[in-house]
Amino acid sequence: MNAVLRVENLSAALPRGGRDVPIVEGLNLTINAGEMLALVGESGSGKTIAALSIMRLLPPGATLTGGVWLGGQNLALLPESALRRVRGRDAGMVFQNPLAALNPSRTVASQIAEAWRVHNGGGKNTARVLELLGEVGIPNAAARLGDYPHQFSGGQRQRVMLAMALACAPKLLIADEPTSGLDPLIARQIMELIARLRRELNMAVLFVTHDLSVVEAHADAVQMLYAGKSVEWGSAKQFFTHPRHPYSEALLGSIARVGQARLHNIPGSLPEPEARPPGCRFAPRCAHCQPDCEAAFPPPSQFGATTAACFYPRPVQDRHAGVEALPVTAPRRFITQLQVQHLSVRYAGKTGWFGAKAAMPALRDASFSLGRGECLGVVGESGSGKSTLGRAILQMLPYEGQVLLEDTDFAALHGAARCARRRRLQLVFQDPRESMNPRLRIGEIIAEPLRLQGQLPQAALREKVETLLRRVGLNAQLAGLFPGTLSGGQAQRVAIARALAASPDIIVLDEPTSSLDVSTQAMLLNLLKDIAYTDALSYILISHDFAVVSYMADRIAVLHEGRIVELNDTAALIAAPRHAYTAALIAAAPQPRGV
Amino acid sequence: MNNRGGLLAGLALGGLIFCLGFIAPLLVTADPYAIHPAYALQPPSLMFPLGTDELGRNELWLILSGSFATLSVALPAAALAFASGVAYGLACGLAPAWVDHVLMRLLDAVLALPSLIVLLFFAALVPLNNISLVLLLGLISWPALARLVRNEALAQRGRDFVLAAEQSGASRFYVARVHLLRVMAPVLVVNGTFMVGDAIFSLSALSFLGLGVQPPQVSWGSLLQSALNIIALDPWWLILPPGLLVFASLLAASLTGQGLLARWGNAR
Repeated sequence: MNAVLRVENLSAALPRGGRDVPIVEGLNLTINAGEMLALVGESGSGKTIAALSIMRLLPPGATLTGGVWLGGQNLALLPESALRRVRGRDAGMVFQNPLAALNPSRTVASQIAEAWRVHNGGGKNTARVLELLGEVGIPNAAARLGDYPHQFSGGQRQRVMLAMALACAPKLLIADEPTSGLDPLIARQIMELIARLRRELNMAVLFVTHDLSVVEAHADAVQMLYAGKSVEWGSAKQFFTHPRHPYSEALLGSIARVGQARLHNIPGSLPEPEARPPGCRFAPRCAHCQPDCEAAFPPPSQFGATTAACFYPRPVQDRHAGVEALPVTAPRRFITQLQVQHLSVRYAGKTGWFGAKAAMPALRDASFSLGRGECLGVVGESGSGKSTLGRAILQMLPYEGQVLLEDTDFAALHGAARCARRRRLQLVFQDPRESMNPRLRIGEIIAEPLRLQGQLPQAALREKVETLLRRVGLNAQLAGLFPGTLSGGQAQRVAIARALAASPDIIVLDEPTSSLDVSTQAMLLNLLKDIAYTDALSYILISHDFAVVSYMADRIAVLHEGRIVELNDTAALIAAPRHAYTAALIAAAPQPRGV
Repeated sequence: MNNRGGLLAGLALGGLIFCLGFIAPLLVTADPYAIHPAYALQPPSLMFPLGTDELGRNELWLILSGSFATLSVALPAAALAFASGVAYGLACGLAPAWVDHVLMRLLDAVLALPSLIVLLFFAALVPLNNISLVLLLGLISWPALARLVRNEALAQRGRDFVLAAEQSGASRFYVARVHLLRVMAPVLVVNGTFMVGDAIFSLSALSFLGLGVQPPQVSWGSLLQSALNIIALDPWWLILPPGLLVFASLLAASLTGQGLLARWGNAR
């Protein structure tokens, strides 16, 4: 085996507030030809900076030490002009957002040809472009040579980016979160494409991601970063079956998987680069922490095919131990609270005063009921109408059909009565920061539904806000802060507190965790589960992530092109999906570990 | 100059001009308009720090009462324009689509007319006093702000936090007051600052044409104009001070506005 990329003791620091703050510390890794290494870590772990420093693409002012060996050259010492020849020719890169990486005013073919021409000269080279587009699986490539980026779908754009990266047949491909932001089925196809190309082209792949479940099936090796340092690395197979570092174990346990009973909670949050603890970085959050963990960073120790930097590595567990199977119980029965009958929504596409009205059906004839304390999951890809369904139920958009809350149709209510009833339906948005006015204090944000409901004395209001903050696991002192100072997970808790302040019967959760890291997601899902249990709250959980929905929901509705194609109890749906689309969704979701 | 320095300089200069207009006139004990033909057209001296005009009036006192007249018309005019612009813009942004359409076409019609011409037209029609001037200037310069506020309101009203408030029963008025105005605050303050500069400039232009502050009151614009009448005699001490004051107040407004914009521009 010959190493294509060898990174030795790589450290990167970025200037922040007048001094250099180390982001990546002492990274070592080797990738052989035809091998895929997954560099994994939560946001703030330094994984993206690590990937960028390999190609020396760091922002100005950054300092870099260590060696990066690619094709017999140390990239860390190469002059800028020589480095430019390496980028693109010896190593290709793909990034998270393909639309931002493509020039919207030039055809896709000319952009791919450019990637080739920069290093090889020559003209348009249509033959090579066609070959590349075929390689990355763009159907009918010859007819699409004149198309612009906006004419391609999200998944196809990522394929185009791959074609550009592959134009010069690089020995190394660096892929930074290439599948996040894509629908699960598409993400899976891109993942499989990268895995196939690596074998066919005998290319080394560095795959950077926050999502362990994405790389589980395809990575040969894994390197886990935590707060700038590698905590565990080695064979992917052994890593996923027998993680030895407590962080790896906890993170694997917090991934929602099909049919899981309870997610693992990792308390606390990732330390800021300025405030990394002196000893083991994970010690403050570790359930197995001992006093000496906080004194010094543990040296790496080898365990078969993996290495972990831990004084007290986790014992090898039985493959099935720790994985609680979903208890096989009869589905819970509920008193019907909400009924949705023949709900359809059309979006009027109107242009100007004299433009023709064109109605786009977004949701067609949806009917279901929701019981008190029940969680109904709604899954589907983007554009399937799942958010539209949620918003129609919340009375945010005009719809056809009926929505009945406790047997009263919303259409029959007007004025204050309608307002009071509508308040009993609340929602939590995908992006918690966007859902809060940045110029209001947390306390004001949570108090808003209470204020709108009527006059409460200031003291009672403050007390209520503090109770709600504690309820969602936050410090009551946060009330005086602005939302900009919160982490994503904290902000989403505040959003939940605001929804609870209206004392609702039903909360529509629209992708509540998809902008959060895996460990934060697990904590939040558990919190939502506990609140629903104690308050007999009903949820409508909208998500593209089947595993998350199956973890939370009593019943699942599968939406496809605006229609509910399947609606069944969660366990029954997983055991015997009736619709082909449902089966595909289940297959694309993270499967139970060790199975 | 860095942004912070510019902002501080703008605020300092603005404060200075404000004091000149509203505090310094209190020190004027004699009648500033009293005519002393014997002392006509004196260059600056110890007795007359800024010299005298062709009627022998003390130029320093004229400038001070002219500053008061200019600012006491321009500031309320800017405030009126600001308030009408914000109100009109919010109304457009929150009204049903057809109302918005009608109001916006109306706004387009107003914007299509060159404001100075309109100003001259109305100035010729109505009796000119300080109140009618405030109304004229105030009602002519709001449309640009109204358009800005309307666009901003449209962009903000679909944001998740507005939807969340509406779900809990927030009225349009509540949304405008609590959410839209607070989110827009930086934009509003920056534009309000520029509007003060605009009002001073428009008033000076009008006064220069004889349609602004009416005699015997003087303003920066009318002082410039009367100096221009005798420019053949090279009365530099009559031209420079009012010209510099107009320039300085525009500079102050511009520096403050730019400084605030740089500071808050990205604060969303």
